[in-house]
Amino acid sequence: MLEAKNAAKVSDEELIGLILQDQDNFLYLVDRYKHRLLSYIRRLTNVNNEDAEDILQEVFIKIYLNLNDFNRDLKFSSWAYRITHNQVISRHRKLQARPEGHAVNIEDQAARRLAAEIDIAAAADLQLLKDHTARILAQLDAKYREILILKFWEEKNYQEISDIIEKPPGTVASTLNKAKQEFKKELARQQLNLN
Amino acid sequence: MSVTNQDNDFDRKLVAKIKAEKISPKPRWHFLLKDSVIWAAGTFSLLVGAGAVSVLIYFFKYSGWEMREAMHKSWGEFFLLTLPYFWIIFLGLFVFILYYNLQHTKHGYRYPVWFIISSSVLSSVILGGIFFLAGLGERIDNLLGVQAPFYNTVINRHLDFWFNPAEGRLVGIVTDKNDDNSFTIIDPSGNEWLVSADSCASSMFLLHLREPVDIIGQVTDDHRFAARRIKPGHPGRSFLSRPRPRPSRTNLPPLLLPSP
Repeated sequence: MLEAKNAAKVSDEELIGLILQDQDNFLYLVDRYKHRLLSYIRRLTNVNNEDAEDILQEVFIKIYLNLNDFNRDLKFSSWAYRITHNQVISRHRKLQARPEGHAVNIEDQAARRLAAEIDIAAAADLQLLKDHTARILAQLDAKYREILILKFWEEKNYQEISDIIEKPPGTVASTLNKAKQEFKKELARQQLNLN
Repeated sequence: MSVTNQDNDFDRKLVAKIKAEKISPKPRWHFLLKDSVIWAAGTFSLLVGAGAVSVLIYFFKYSGWEMREAMHKSWGEFFLLTLPYFWIIFLGLFVFILYYNLQHTKHGYRYPVWFIISSSVLSSVILGGIFFLAGLGERIDNLLGVQAPFYNTVINRHLDFWFNPAEGRLVGIVTDKNDDNSFTIIDPSGNEWLVSADSCASSMFLLHLREPVDIIGQVTDDHRFAARRIKPGHPGRSFLSRPRPRPSRTNLPPLLLPSP
């Protein structure tokens, strides 16, 4: 097994090779991604912490099972997010429930990014946006919510989003534009002040 | 309760589950096999679709557009009556399977649907054209004509259209060239016709024994037909050559008999 100080120096792709040689190295990969993926799960769904961790455990088991299927043309993070995204959808499909995002606490940076994209500049509006984001997102269609979360919360670029949701980059761009419009409409519907 | 406080607990549970269930990464060959199956199914669909295109081109080549006016049919009517629906549906099915397989390759999701569909159609058409030039369309038609069920009603609707002596259309396989102006054919029902070409605008030299022929003209007598136009070559050679019991002449439908 790698030493912790050495593990920090290797890339995700190199780490996968090392895991295939020694399965104990898998824990280094888990450590790298568990917080990010758990946040992503919580942003996509309204499940409690315990259920979110169950989903996360299933995600890591899938990652582990399919290590040999990892395509090195992709970033590992995109592949891990894809598995997480599919696992959340699959779990909710089993429960015949729609994934509802209720754990979206928008940080200042994410709020500024989103506000800049939908032309909200005033500080007061920014505060309102931060206060109402979770409710607005919950009203949106799942495909719009997912893409906004990936873009503004997970800070993924078009290519990464394309690899995660398995749609062409052109479709990602048009869906994101539509999602921003829908978000803005919903913001207006909730009678928030817009510039 | 955040995962930060449960980091070790989460790791411990995960490792325990992996060990308890003896989970290990699936071997590489498993994924290679899966990818190979997708590509093989796609390639198979492409080949079958291209085969369908080669038959379609073969059918269109011999559909008899040049004789449309002599049949007194409009372009639309002629097109609808002779369109090989079976092969178009068959092609559509295999283009869809090809599209489905391409979309499910590792990078298939990166391409827009229109691009994958048009690539599937285009590759089937180009390969189908090459297959046609290599004579595959005719070979497939001959193969199916030997014993495929519903050949003349579903697979090759041309035969149904062309075999209508009451409307002045006759199709069959040439069995004998009696003299310079007459020949004998066997129609799709197994009946023998003596065809006179006295007032025929087309040359008798075009005819070959054991080859199909389309004829426009009229019934003159019991199983006698006066040709105005003849066009050799027609899909359905094997079907027309199938051994079949010759029907009794007394049981012929009255439509085929000349009016007194």
